[in-house]
Amino acid sequence: MIPFTYLEPSSLDEALTLLAERGADAKLIAGGTGLVNLMKQRLVRPEFVIGLRALKPLCGIVENGGIRIGALATIQALEASAAIRRQAPLLAAACGHVATVRVRSMATLGGAVAHADPNLDTPPALIALDAEIVAHSRRGERKIPADRFFTGYFETVLDPDEIVTEILVPEQPAGSGTAFLKFLPATRDDYATVSVAVRIALSTNGAITDARVALGAAATVPVRAKAVEAALTGKGADEKNFREAADLVREAIDPIADFRGSAEYKRKMAIVHVRRALSQALSEAKKLS
Amino acid sequence: MRTVKLTINGKPVIREIEDNRLLVEFLREDQKLTGTKESCGVGVCGACTVLLDGKPISSCLTLAVHADGGAITTIEGIAEGDRLHPLQEAFLAHGGLQCGICTPGQILAAKALLEANPHPTKAEIQHWMMGNLCRCTGYYKIVESIAVAAGAN
Amino acid sequence: MVAASLSNKAIGLPVRRVDGVAKVTGRTVYAGDVDLPGMIYGRCLRSPYPSARIVSIDTRRAAALPGVRAVLTGADVPDVRYGRMCKDVPILTKDVVRFVGDKLAAVAADSIETAEAALELIDVQYEELPAVFSAEDAVRPSAPIIHSETVEVFPNAAAGIHGELRMYPPIPNVISQLKVQHGDAASAFAGAYKIFEHRFAVPSIHQGYIEPHTCLVSIGADGVVDLWVANKGPHIARAHMAAATGIAEDRIRFNPVAIGGDFGGKGSLMDTLLCYCLARAAGRPVKMVMTSFEELTAANPRHSASVTLRTGVDRDARLLAIEARVIFNAGAYAGLVPVPTLHGGYAEVAGAYRVPNCAFEVLRVYTNTVPCGHMRAPGAPQVTFAVESHIDMIAHGMVLDPLEMRRRNAIAEGDLTPLGEKRRLLRCRETIDAGARAFGWDKPKPADIGRGISIFQHPPGNFGRSTVALTMGVDGRITIQVGSPDTGTGFHTIAAQLVAEHFGASVEEVDVVQGDTLVSGFEFGSSGQRLTTTIGQAIAAAADKMKQDLTALAAERLNCAPSDIQMGEDGSFAAAGATIDRRTLMGWAAARGKAPLSSQGENKPVPSDRTSFVAHFAEVAIDRETGQVRLRRIVTAHDIGTIVNPITHQGQIEGGLIQAVGQAMSERIALKDGAVITAHLGDYKLPTVMDIPELETVLLPGGGGAAPFSTTAIGEMSNVAVPAAITNAVFDAVGVRLVELPISAEKVLEGLSDGAGAA
Repeated sequence: MIPFTYLEPSSLDEALTLLAERGADAKLIAGGTGLVNLMKQRLVRPEFVIGLRALKPLCGIVENGGIRIGALATIQALEASAAIRRQAPLLAAACGHVATVRVRSMATLGGAVAHADPNLDTPPALIALDAEIVAHSRRGERKIPADRFFTGYFETVLDPDEIVTEILVPEQPAGSGTAFLKFLPATRDDYATVSVAVRIALSTNGAITDARVALGAAATVPVRAKAVEAALTGKGADEKNFREAADLVREAIDPIADFRGSAEYKRKMAIVHVRRALSQALSEAKKLS
Repeated sequence: MRTVKLTINGKPVIREIEDNRLLVEFLREDQKLTGTKESCGVGVCGACTVLLDGKPISSCLTLAVHADGGAITTIEGIAEGDRLHPLQEAFLAHGGLQCGICTPGQILAAKALLEANPHPTKAEIQHWMMGNLCRCTGYYKIVESIAVAAGAN
Repeated sequence: MVAASLSNKAIGLPVRRVDGVAKVTGRTVYAGDVDLPGMIYGRCLRSPYPSARIVSIDTRRAAALPGVRAVLTGADVPDVRYGRMCKDVPILTKDVVRFVGDKLAAVAADSIETAEAALELIDVQYEELPAVFSAEDAVRPSAPIIHSETVEVFPNAAAGIHGELRMYPPIPNVISQLKVQHGDAASAFAGAYKIFEHRFAVPSIHQGYIEPHTCLVSIGADGVVDLWVANKGPHIARAHMAAATGIAEDRIRFNPVAIGGDFGGKGSLMDTLLCYCLARAAGRPVKMVMTSFEELTAANPRHSASVTLRTGVDRDARLLAIEARVIFNAGAYAGLVPVPTLHGGYAEVAGAYRVPNCAFEVLRVYTNTVPCGHMRAPGAPQVTFAVESHIDMIAHGMVLDPLEMRRRNAIAEGDLTPLGEKRRLLRCRETIDAGARAFGWDKPKPADIGRGISIFQHPPGNFGRSTVALTMGVDGRITIQVGSPDTGTGFHTIAAQLVAEHFGASVEEVDVVQGDTLVSGFEFGSSGQRLTTTIGQAIAAAADKMKQDLTALAAERLNCAPSDIQMGEDGSFAAAGATIDRRTLMGWAAARGKAPLSSQGENKPVPSDRTSFVAHFAEVAIDRETGQVRLRRIVTAHDIGTIVNPITHQGQIEGGLIQAVGQAMSERIALKDGAVITAHLGDYKLPTVMDIPELETVLLPGGGGAAPFSTTAIGEMSNVAVPAAITNAVFDAVGVRLVELPISAEKVLEGLSDGAGAA
């Protein structure tokens, strides 16, 4: 393991100060499943590692209209949370798909968004839920919508002196249905060939009033497929409309060819799984109404 | 360097360690608890599984400093003297092990499962245990061993 | 010889593994768990190029790093070549590197971090040379020659191989060329009703053992070399080490350790010789543990292969002749394999069938890629995937049910094998039928569900020397000393049960000890599903001798002639109404200085006419929109003799089968410009517990087996033919024929789009 100095601030202020001082020489660590792996492979070599685990206030999951998720809430805690299951089952579903039980024990939602691995399962769910990411620095606080947070391969809008402190999931449209699909054609512990998170809200006459469609493992960032959403809004929630709208995802994504498939195959699978996710979300919406 | 205070298998441990020490190295080399194994190094195989405050973690991806203030359970700590844990008994009786290298991780992960969910279905066992790889058994007897131990509870 | 009846005090019982308690409590010692005072760590510098000249190496900066105790290059180690059959493996390569990962320098340092930092300080100038990656390209006249030196081959290369074997023939980069035939294939083809020809490709896969290669070498003040190595055949390893270093075998001690999985991959010295050189240079014990990256990119995986099959049939789809051309890609070095060519490449081609004429050619070829080794039934999975797909394609071509195709052509009692061998107690068709019945082959099935069959024949190994030493203590407890580790197969437990059976004892009264190489007798080790047979013979021989001693003691005690003594099933000795049990007898003998007793035994490696069959039935569901293949269930039917331990026996079946599922569904060593790019378990996908199908095992007991208890072999029966059963099922479901492994949803979808697919 590369050498580094570990610092463990006991308050958010202390953490922000340390981060501001060490700048480019420092990396933050929450659960560590992302950073420790990168350091072991010598892909990052920070001089300082600033551990956030003592910042207990950042662990909470609080209902407040929507839900305020502390950045240090673990994936496992989110999956099990009654509040999340009730208000944002899409996030609980995505969390249940994350890696293995060991990763879920340690990895945090804040860590996941800051890490910005485009293969992760939770970012598409956050986009589909209209979540906002709260970042603090000594300069203040800002809220960034999830669909604008990710800028590139392992890159976000975060400044080097910012720490993700909360993820805000707003109250979801009444009667909306959601679905999360993770396509794993090889083994079950693989990264997704493509993942899809959708949310549709229906009017009383069955028309779609609101749609969110987000994909993971489909580009260098999680993608919000606005063209697909636009094609759904105002239309009837039926297979034909789902099929036509899903076809539009082809242009919305830019998959990377890898062991999980060629770019063209991933495009085809994105179309299939958007369509399937919409059908599943419709079933969910019907169950709730 | 920093001093960590934790318990390992119920015993208090206070040690000064390097900041960059991995938990698996701390356990195997500093504490001479070699029951925990290291294999894939990237958190996939589960051979390095230990419990931190009852939760299964990859000790190969955890800094030792992150165990500070916590309670670590390794395979050496789950029998009570000569009395084996029901999981250990079940793995022995039902062929849940062959070469034994993945066995400590399997048993610890299963222990955490049965504490979270004392009577899991076969599907729940498989879902929880998905992160513990085995190359010898084909998994059937691991699932059976866990189901038997759950029934014995 | 001992009576073949079973007392059922030991054989057939599902006894717990003798090493089980240690394994479930974490007390088992694997090589990586051994810690010695003053121990330091070794790491290697590996070539980033597939083929290059080493222009210069400068290690001065590395040697100057604090904490570094030794730095070695090819110039600093003995200029010997190691090899288990072909001696072409240097300790560290000099002059040229031959694959991405070839070791050219090594460091021993106080910590792994220091050693790795030192590697970064070694300056190497390379001059890239032309490289070749495919076996087909490597045999062309224009191909670069990977080993221009003359490679020494062990003189017994052709032993046990029927046919014409040429080592290093005048074809570029060919290690071995084997031609075997039986009958007159040319004439048979001329008279065939129809001829089918197909080509198949099977990539390399890793053995997947969870314990990486590990070695620890400590040189004592007296010069004795102590080793703890993850190696399944320490006596053989010792012999190779002695030959390479010049150290006498009795100055080399391989200490017993448990092995965390072998599957054929831990039979070579791997880094042991280099570790020894580092220990000698540093004057400290050195431990080397391969990282997972090194294991996946530079260990000794299964050979990839291309297999071309040509078969002539009569109008009833009976097999008249089979021609096979098998090309194994051996990678950059041949020496990690203990045979000239892979046994499964010729010995098992269509072995489950009656084929009166055959002609097989097998090439093993060098390329600038990772050197390959042995893996569970070497050569057989590659060839059997081809054979069982080919037979299936013939069945469909002849409009014949694939099950009926197997039944009609299955080898039966009295038939010769395709290579003209005589085998007895052949129950191929019975095995097929039992499996088909359990599977419900003819039951109606919904759309997009497919069913496939594959079969395989593989005899128990009966080669190599196994020796054991028995000791009976003054308390009647029996100790068996064996010379090799239990790699997870249950070998030590089987040995205990066999010993117990001979003496009418319970397994609890037997202790199994693996002695180090100075004190234990020779043991060839786990290989080719041999151990139950060979250790069974060795135990029987040793037990017989000890029973003679016991009988003599009993006769003395009971005041009669030895010929009057009857040994009971409970191990007691009786004559003329008086009985004495083993424990009491030994106590009596001890008081007279006649105990403990000891004896030794070894096996008789003669060719056997026994063999075993397996039939697999797989059912899949295909998602037509994605191409995803869901493996729903498998039935595996085995004809068997006496099972020593039903749990370990079943464990071998299940473990082997899931390895085959991995080969079929997700595993492959992928190469780009000669480098392995599936370099960690995030990309090299082993099956998880969620990837296993419903499995039903059908056992046909009563088959013949090895004396004295009619045991057979199971270790390499279930991991060979499963992939073809699955691809045959895919074809049955959606008409897509896959001729390459692994199956991928994308390939199936491509096949569907190509128009195959009318269900």
